[in-house]
Amino acid sequence: MVSFQGNDMSTPFFELRNISKYFAKVIANKDVSLSVERGEVLALLGENGAGKSTCMKILYGLYQADEGQIYKEGELITIKTPRDAIHHRISMIQQHFSLVSAHTVTENIILGNAKGRIDWKKAQQDIQRLADRYGFNVDAGKKIQDLTVGEQQKVEILKSLYLDANLLIMDEPTAVLTPQEIDTLMEFVREYSSRGNAVIFITHKLKEVMHVANRIIVMRSGRVHGNVLKEETNERELSRMMIEHTMQELDTAQAAGKPGKVSLSVRSLTVAPRREVPLLKNVTFDIHKGEIFGIAGVSGNGQLELCMTLCGAMKSTSGSVHLDDQDITHLSIRKRIALGMGYVPSDRHRYGMVMDMSLSENMLLKASYFSTWNRNGVVNRKKLAETTSSILKHYDVKASGPGALARELSGGNQQKVIVGREVEFCGDFIIFDQPTRGLDLGAINNVHTAILKEKKNNKAIMLVSTELSEIFALCDRVAVFYKGEIQGIFRTSELDSQKIGLLMAGYTHQEVI
Amino acid sequence: MMDKKTRDILITNFFAVVLGLLLSGFMILFLKKNPIQIFALLFSSMFRDGYTIGEIFVKATPLIFTALAFAFTFKASLFNIGAQGQFYIGSITAVSVSLLIPSPVAIPLAIILSFITSGLWGGFIGLSKAKFKANEFLISMMSTYVALNLMNYLLRTVLMESKGEYPQTETLARSTWLFKIVPHTRLHFGFILAILAAVTIWLILYRTTFGFRIRAVGQNKEAARMSGVNPERIYIITFIISGGLAGLAGVTEVNGVQHMLLQGFNPSIGALGIGIAILANGNPIGIIFASILFGALHVGGTIMGQLSGVPSSIINLMEGFVMVFVIISYYVRRKWEVSRDKKLLIEGTI
Repeated sequence: MVSFQGNDMSTPFFELRNISKYFAKVIANKDVSLSVERGEVLALLGENGAGKSTCMKILYGLYQADEGQIYKEGELITIKTPRDAIHHRISMIQQHFSLVSAHTVTENIILGNAKGRIDWKKAQQDIQRLADRYGFNVDAGKKIQDLTVGEQQKVEILKSLYLDANLLIMDEPTAVLTPQEIDTLMEFVREYSSRGNAVIFITHKLKEVMHVANRIIVMRSGRVHGNVLKEETNERELSRMMIEHTMQELDTAQAAGKPGKVSLSVRSLTVAPRREVPLLKNVTFDIHKGEIFGIAGVSGNGQLELCMTLCGAMKSTSGSVHLDDQDITHLSIRKRIALGMGYVPSDRHRYGMVMDMSLSENMLLKASYFSTWNRNGVVNRKKLAETTSSILKHYDVKASGPGALARELSGGNQQKVIVGREVEFCGDFIIFDQPTRGLDLGAINNVHTAILKEKKNNKAIMLVSTELSEIFALCDRVAVFYKGEIQGIFRTSELDSQKIGLLMAGYTHQEVI
Repeated sequence: MMDKKTRDILITNFFAVVLGLLLSGFMILFLKKNPIQIFALLFSSMFRDGYTIGEIFVKATPLIFTALAFAFTFKASLFNIGAQGQFYIGSITAVSVSLLIPSPVAIPLAIILSFITSGLWGGFIGLSKAKFKANEFLISMMSTYVALNLMNYLLRTVLMESKGEYPQTETLARSTWLFKIVPHTRLHFGFILAILAAVTIWLILYRTTFGFRIRAVGQNKEAARMSGVNPERIYIITFIISGGLAGLAGVTEVNGVQHMLLQGFNPSIGALGIGIAILANGNPIGIIFASILFGALHVGGTIMGQLSGVPSSIINLMEGFVMVFVIISYYVRRKWEVSRDKKLLIEGTI
């Protein structure tokens, strides 16, 4: 399989040792060590936010590591800028291409490399020859804006080849490609690595990994969580390594519910930005009152887009959404909130809270347009503080009081505040998007209890989760998402973790059952 | 223990002022004068008589407005660099109203209309930001030059005094002057208007749902959007109010101090307002005090220039130095905060 091996098997081509990277408020990488050999295709697998891109941006000089070293063939090197990285023959293709669309292929490729007088004719010939050698069907004289996304990616690759890169890092290279384009890309990757080059492939798609990689490193919450050869693993094991946290037993015996009438009704919902792969495709489901409806899937398969579309932050291309028999497809976020839609977002820092505001103010966030806590626009601060206090008590939030700043709280307590807010002030339909991600056991239990209580209160609940234990413990029915499509809707009793794992990996209903 | 943020603000601002004085002290050294003597003269001359003390507040008045203008958009994480231009628009409106209606009615009318015209002038910046994602920093800055040249154009044409000699208007009728609040000084009603504006802005920001939404957009636009707030609408409204506030400085300067409009009218109050707002960390009440500090420096400096033979431009230089350091201190504070967060994070994980 691997036709080329480095001279010395014990010293890897490139090696990252104990890399840590801290951003102001998050740990992006912690103690990450990994290496890649010549001739090897290494897949960096993990969910969104697992730290894959950050760690590769460090190798490419876009970020500086706070701790740790980089080695090339056993020698310590420093990479401070992409220029240093290019000097060491490393090249990275970003998820979002960095091409000047009004310029030609040739102009883009020699950009940053051209000095003085440019021999355009020769440059164009060189590039065309390079393209032909790898079987890229790209015209070096064409403008970028006239190329398809797949061709643009080839230009990015050509750019790396033109710089004589020996290590090619590709960040989610298939996200924007059609199946045929993916095949060509995979062919290139194999061809390129067989010439003694190395490829690091960042992805969260299991099928691709099995297709192209020699070795797979799984990352989770900024750390390395597995390092396996392709021959020694399978998709099921990988999906488990990616998503499984310590599978704790949930003492939340399912209340046998008898679901009421339909609350939320989604019909053929599609979100397809122009000239891009659809984010959601023909999604259809109903959620009944008193039902917990699960959305399972490896993260990044359309779950966030579904939540965003339902709450009104993202426009749908086609299809409809009804809430309690009212068409809400085109309503604003504010109107949906007024109709009683609650939303606990997965990224609470970004979408759920204002970190530098007090807990009271964070309570007010959703209610600022309603007369709950204000008279003629003037906030009734006493009433707001009282209600906030009682919610803090009820949801067991550890905080000094309603005046505490949100940022002073631990993640678990922040989440309890958001859950409390959404549950107390929103009506009959609540979206929980990965409500327990990153929480400790106590907080997880707390959130689960709240969700089950709302079910008893006959609310319709949508629970997005990448944790199978959570899905099985709480949900009545579950829809499995893969690449923005529903792979099937099942009663949780019909499934086991093996079947659901395969569905999440992209196998169809028929193949599984 | 003092809150770390407040501590940072006090420390950095203190050093900003001290560094500004120190640097301008060096400039005085070049003139072969003793900077300590000169500064002593500066401080003593501020308080030498009632008239001078009144002058401090006269100078502070427009600064309160332009600083409020900057602070208000700043709370929504927007930069209104164009208070100077909005001030010119307010001045043009105030002088036009007062010349057309030479009676006391002109005063309330000038206040209302100046707020509206300069508000619309500012609102245009917010609109272009909301609709076209234009850079409000650049547009507000460049719009200042448009306003300046509009003013100069009008001063050479329709607003020009009847003799047609100077680029300035006729003196306003006495009945349109803002009345004095302390006899034997130039201190006028405009100062009270400025205090009222500052208190009102504070109430809006910290006591109403509208102000809450502005701050929410400023601190986390996405979370605000998810809560049903339309950040784009907030951009437009805050810029209207911000522009209006800067325009009110036009009324206080035209009807309260100069009693006419002339070329080169108060060319630096917009820039000073930015620094004052940052010195006060955007707090409307803090702005009142920071403006008075700058008013005092200005008044003391002018007298110092007259008495000591040190050119009075040294005081502008000093204001400039302090301003630059105050603005730098804002970024220093931010850096401290980020590294503090980072440290907590690292300690928490080891």
